[in-house]
Amino acid sequence: MFERFSKDARAAVVDAQQVAHETGSRTVDGRHLLAALASGDGAAAQALRTVGVDPSALADSLRAELRAGGLDAGALASLGVDLDAVRARADAVFGEGALERGTGRGRRGHIPFTPDAKKTLELALRETVRLGSPAIEGGHLLLGVLRATGSPAEAALRAALAGAGTDGPALRVALEEQQRRAS
Amino acid sequence: MSESLLAAAAEHPAEGLRAVRALRELADRLEALQVERARDLGWSWQEIADALGVTRQAAHKKYGRRI
Repeated sequence: MFERFSKDARAAVVDAQQVAHETGSRTVDGRHLLAALASGDGAAAQALRTVGVDPSALADSLRAELRAGGLDAGALASLGVDLDAVRARADAVFGEGALERGTGRGRRGHIPFTPDAKKTLELALRETVRLGSPAIEGGHLLLGVLRATGSPAEAALRAALAGAGTDGPALRVALEEQQRRAS
Repeated sequence: MSESLLAAAAEHPAEGLRAVRALRELADRLEALQVERARDLGWSWQEIADALGVTRQAAHKKYGRRI
């Protein structure tokens, strides 16, 4: 499938890995891909801007969410575990931000994609075929995220769209419009 | 922690499972940090494994490459 990726889409996949390294993630899911797309200057970021979503703000909030990872303070509180207290203790023993940073070692290699990230790439391929495009572009990847119903990335994207007073169909129109102009 | 919140958590599997997952994530992170520190302080894999209640092979397999 990767041979059908444009330079832009390849860069997004590589950048998603980079986002995973930076945020101490053990897997790459659709949110890493979405953060990479929003941080870039390709069709995906442009379409987001067209519908009124600030791509860099979206990328920042995704990175913050990914950095916190599964450290779900609310869920831990339901068990009587005070995450702030644990964090303070971890900071004192292992240094500032240790809990979020992880060990900071051994995450240099390839970080595996989650099934939902793979599904997103498949959906992007389907969008590419459906739109009759010769290669998978960043815009198709964003459509893949949008179609990955129930994934954390889709939820984050929908929330960002709703925050900007717009929705998925509007983003799709913006992306398809760009496609038409490009071809 | 209020009693009602605990009772609510007990009633909803989704909440309970989410809490277990969060706890596991927290434990995994603390374990990695502790193992790293123990190695820095010169602990052997055997000593670390004994403290964690796992085999030396299991500890080394999990952290040997990372730390």
